[in-house]
Amino acid sequence: MLRAHSLLWHYLWVAPSVLLLMLGFGLWRLRVHRQHPFFLAFVLASAVEQLTLYVLDITPSVEPETWWRFFWAGLILEGILKFALLAEVFAHAFRPYPAIATLGKRLIGMVGVLLIFASSMAAAFAPLDSLFGIVSGAHLLQQTIYIIECGILVSIFGFSSYFRIGMPSADRGIALGLSLSACVHLATWTLVANTSLPDDSRVVLDFINMAIFHFCVLMWIYYLLVPRRASEMTAMIALPENNLALWNRELERLLQ
Amino acid sequence: MILAIILVVAAALALIFILSITVSRSLQVSNRSLAGAIQPLDLEAFRNLTDAAEDDYLRRRLQPADFRSVRRERLRAMAAYVQVAGRNATVLVRIGQSALTAGDSTTVEAARQLVEQALLLRRNATFALLRIYLALAWPNSDSDARPILHRYEQLNGSAMLLGRLQNPAVPLRISGGL
Repeated sequence: MLRAHSLLWHYLWVAPSVLLLMLGFGLWRLRVHRQHPFFLAFVLASAVEQLTLYVLDITPSVEPETWWRFFWAGLILEGILKFALLAEVFAHAFRPYPAIATLGKRLIGMVGVLLIFASSMAAAFAPLDSLFGIVSGAHLLQQTIYIIECGILVSIFGFSSYFRIGMPSADRGIALGLSLSACVHLATWTLVANTSLPDDSRVVLDFINMAIFHFCVLMWIYYLLVPRRASEMTAMIALPENNLALWNRELERLLQ
Repeated sequence: MILAIILVVAAALALIFILSITVSRSLQVSNRSLAGAIQPLDLEAFRNLTDAAEDDYLRRRLQPADFRSVRRERLRAMAAYVQVAGRNATVLVRIGQSALTAGDSTTVEAARQLVEQALLLRRNATFALLRIYLALAWPNSDSDARPILHRYEQLNGSAMLLGRLQNPAVPLRISGGL
């Protein structure tokens, strides 16, 4: 069952891409793409990239080197779109709060610089296969992108949690899906890039990646296309008794 | 191999951290118990602790070693106040956010102001705590927490306004002992 070119393998490679295309169409129809343009771009680019790679993979005439060249191109495009998407999620989460938006930007900027440094160090210390440089280089690029992506997502969630800022539902879903995908992919690509695993184990890791990505796509569909119920947060808060007169006096003193 | 282990563990910890935040946010206590989570703060006592004139007076009257000891005690008390102010600010952020969905535009505007001021207080409380902890190491240094006090007073005003708008009969108290 867990073998390359098994039925499950074909399904896990193709189904998420088809679902992503449906998600993109749904976003367009519901006009959600206006609020999430980079998410739509990411969804469509990922779907096209994965379907292209799948077709190349099952076409016998395609040379492995050609497949890896396409993989590289898709990886770079997907990486750029992912970071644009993270900026979009950050803006949606914190732009409504000017008191902390600037602080958040600086913090994420600093974390980004540290992550670029850390991921460069990790790539520098990883074993490089000189015979299949195009392959090991792709693994290292994946590892680098996922280190930065994971770190930025942890910062966004940590920052919003510290200030008790509730992210909009759609952005929470996007960020959660990206986090799940990035953390699992970081672990698996790290193992692939830094250890000499047998082929069977690599295939199992591929299955894990594909299954997790499938789950993330379903999560995005749920968060972005399923209509949300009216928030229960609108309930009136029972406020305790107060010392309004004293506070008014104090405020008047401050205003003088 | 060591690098691989470090990165795999880091990825696992990152995922646990993100999922725990998501789960804890979805299991938050109801709004009704939020207002009860606010701890009253004695602003007058805090004002006394942050008064630079008091510090100057103590510095003049006490031996340097005694002054450092007293100053540390005052700083610890100051830190406790700032921590409570910061916690109250987070509660007020949530109360304000819940009111942002109200239909009444006046309430929404009051809620927006409350959230903004509560976030500023939370941010300032964080920086003030850092300064207080630094001052604990060097008690002779200046640790001015007065901006926190000012921000807290402004925040109380916003909370009161929101409380009045939401429920004129039962307004909000976030401090005591004035």
